[in-house]
Amino acid sequence: MSSSADALAQGPATSGALRGPRRGAPDGVLGLRLALWLVCAAVILVPLAVIVAMGLSADRLVLLLEGDVLEAGRNSLVSALLSAVGAVAVGTALALLVERTDLRGRGALRLLALSPLLVPPFVGAIAWIGLAGPASTVNRAWSEATGGPLWVVYGGDGVVFLLVVHSFPIAYLVVAATLRRIPSDLEQAARTSGAGPWRTVRDVTLPLLRPAALSAFTLVAVSNLADFGIPSIVGLPEGYVTLSTLVYRYLQSGTVEAPLEVVATIGVVLLALAVLGVLVDVLASRSRWQLEASATAPAPVSLGRLRGLASVVTWVLVAAVTLLPLWALATQALLPAPGVPLTWANLTLDSLTRAVTAPTTVTGLTNSLWLSALAGVLCAVLGLAIGTLVTRTRSRDNPALRAVAMLPQAIPGLVIAVGWLVLAPRVGLFNTPWLILGAYVTAFVALVVQTVVAPLSATPLTAEEAARVAGASPLRAFLDVSWRMALPAAVTGGFLVVLTAVRELTLSALLLSPGSQTLGVAIFNLQQAGAYNAASALALLVALVGLAGARLAVRQPS
Amino acid sequence: MSSISFSAVGLVYPGGTTGLADIDLEVADGEFLALVGPSGSGKTTLLRTLAGFLAPTSGTVRIGEQVVADGARSTPPEHRRLGMVFQQHAIWPHWSVGRNVEYPLRLAGAPRRERAERVHEVLELVGLAGLERRDPATLSGGQRQRVALARALAARPRLLLLDEALSALDEPLRDRLRLELRALTTSMGLTVLHVTHDRAEALALADRVAVLDGGRLQQVGTPEELVRRPWSAFVARFLSDATVLPGVRDGRGFTADRHPCRVPAEALSDEPGGTGRGSLAVLPEDVELLSAAGSDRSEVGIVASSLFGRDASDVVVTWHGLDVRCRTRGPRPSVGDAVRVGVRRAVFYAEAAQAPEGVAAPVAGALA
Repeated sequence: MSSSADALAQGPATSGALRGPRRGAPDGVLGLRLALWLVCAAVILVPLAVIVAMGLSADRLVLLLEGDVLEAGRNSLVSALLSAVGAVAVGTALALLVERTDLRGRGALRLLALSPLLVPPFVGAIAWIGLAGPASTVNRAWSEATGGPLWVVYGGDGVVFLLVVHSFPIAYLVVAATLRRIPSDLEQAARTSGAGPWRTVRDVTLPLLRPAALSAFTLVAVSNLADFGIPSIVGLPEGYVTLSTLVYRYLQSGTVEAPLEVVATIGVVLLALAVLGVLVDVLASRSRWQLEASATAPAPVSLGRLRGLASVVTWVLVAAVTLLPLWALATQALLPAPGVPLTWANLTLDSLTRAVTAPTTVTGLTNSLWLSALAGVLCAVLGLAIGTLVTRTRSRDNPALRAVAMLPQAIPGLVIAVGWLVLAPRVGLFNTPWLILGAYVTAFVALVVQTVVAPLSATPLTAEEAARVAGASPLRAFLDVSWRMALPAAVTGGFLVVLTAVRELTLSALLLSPGSQTLGVAIFNLQQAGAYNAASALALLVALVGLAGARLAVRQPS
Repeated sequence: MSSISFSAVGLVYPGGTTGLADIDLEVADGEFLALVGPSGSGKTTLLRTLAGFLAPTSGTVRIGEQVVADGARSTPPEHRRLGMVFQQHAIWPHWSVGRNVEYPLRLAGAPRRERAERVHEVLELVGLAGLERRDPATLSGGQRQRVALARALAARPRLLLLDEALSALDEPLRDRLRLELRALTTSMGLTVLHVTHDRAEALALADRVAVLDGGRLQQVGTPEELVRRPWSAFVARFLSDATVLPGVRDGRGFTADRHPCRVPAEALSDEPGGTGRGSLAVLPEDVELLSAAGSDRSEVGIVASSLFGRDASDVVVTWHGLDVRCRTRGPRPSVGDAVRVGVRRAVFYAEAAQAPEGVAAPVAGALA
């Protein structure tokens, strides 16, 4: 007994002296913290800072008042706000129906309603052209009967509609998450007080959802403000120009002098709008009340006699905006040219094989695969480190670090792309694919941070304290306990990044350089060149890969 | 104010699980009835059936003369004119205290003037006079529960339903609110149905207590009856921590199965009587701990735990694999002491007359 105790006591620097670093002395975790701050500064703060510096110093604010920019700005703002209102309205209504009533087939309906998240907006746009373009079956039949098309998806209304279709699932997710946290007691208390089911929704449920709805609104509005795929594919044919398509034109065709400076100025305006959105969200969340956990599981509200009707209507509407475009995409992909009638004899795999084997597609696919894989790995590592650090250690700069890492999520991709464009010549990345990789990391690291933070903040800090008591140094406890706990979430997050990046268009279209075109750009170019069937074929593949990949991601524990 | 009547009420969940079975229960106008039982016993199910959140699949539920559920149709909660207090108070966070309390009156269509008066009145009643404009988030847990009570009382409900209404509060506060609640409901002559998992609370507050298990009523009676004359070994064990042993009774007394415990006929209670196979329930008060010196080895148990209590110590003796719970006055034995267990008095429940489930495993249940 005594000999083993002696052996233990013979470590260096013992013999009664107080061991360990002095207060405030650096330890391993501090080093990690500094490194993370540096990386965040490099990939997030610097691109944003340069865009602000250039945008403001170039003294081109007057440009904003020019006809083109003003009109594009108005179109962007109106389409973003209208689509956000629409998305929140649809998302909230659907969340209430699916999460709180006895609608038939709610589980399947939820999956179906969320599926637009997995289809990139530009793919959705290509699909809707097949469905409601001027040459679509419906519109041609209608024209023959009445002399004019039923509804053509081109133009401002089409842009808003498609933005709603692609963003209502986000609103649904945000609202449904809060809805599940509303204790059913609050609603039952209203029922015993004499309120009927609808009155309860109006007086209790909806007011409690208001902060979540506002939050969803700002999220959707900011991300739709600078969406590139939808307005370029559906808006441009009717001359509906938004800021993102205008920027693309400036950068690609050089119609203005010093395009980068003009674009940076536009970027600053978008950035300002994004900051405004964040502020609104922060102010709204300040008045957010704490909802306590529910004692009883909510019993679904019975729709009564309306159940059958409501189920059919909801299913038809959701299926129409999710399955019909995929069907349109499939038929377009299998037909030799637009407008060819859909018969068994006309079906061909030619477009598909031609599209897949074309050299541009092969380059695009290769580029997209390695760029998104690298982005996934980088974001997973960075997100894991940041996510664990801000949740599992105590430090005053944690909120700031987290805010910086999450910042790009609130910033339109257009701004990030322009930031990297401005930065590129200064760091020697001009005209290289690395530029796209950098932008991917900036834009998507928040995805991983978010997936890592959510489960970790629910676990008490005693896990690490137990490791410390067991003899681990702070860094060791951090690596052995915090990282291990967060690893599955980080892998899921990294996977999400790969899934998002491989189908991405906005960033890679703006950062395009010779030889670095991505899959998204390849499809976009085919579409612009009029090869609709080839574009549809590739888009179909992307959509299917997205749907399949998401199944894998969902299975991962997060 | 109204009476409540459940007749032959049964509830089977869509999955086939039985929620309630053959519930026959009358609650008189102005009576305070507590529902107790282990978790999953159906006490909350019964309360929610009365509230209208669950519809019974058979039987009839009446409030006063009105049939509110008859197995085919069920009046929705908003048309039952009830007041209900939930465990987590369920105060609406987006409204002020006054607006919360006023809501039932607003729905009942009371004019503004009357509403304000009534809100003032009930807030005063629960000891929160003048807090109408406060944000509920600024109130303490006890205050919020008072607001919930005020809200439940505001529209002069026919019944007051309490769903673990005091369980979320800390001890001294809970005690005080318990007293106030009883005084308030008595003075208002309210019919109250109170679900709780706290046996002491149920026995202390209620005029009558109903014990449920497995969705069936096990016994309904005054607190005295339940404690003195439990109808089944289950009730004795659940309410009074009785030790339960399976065995056989004949003319000479009780013989336990595979256990040295023997109880002579004179120590067995006359009620409910009966012989043959059955269960023996021994209340902790009826166990005496004697010196082990000179007794046979089979009669000796070892003290497994010994907890101090105000009027009697709470001791558990492991006797031949059976945990016997006893309350002893006088010197408190230490853990590890060898003692002889004596049974002063016990009640035998013959198999046919006892509760159908949950009494066969004496060891598992003894400490429950």
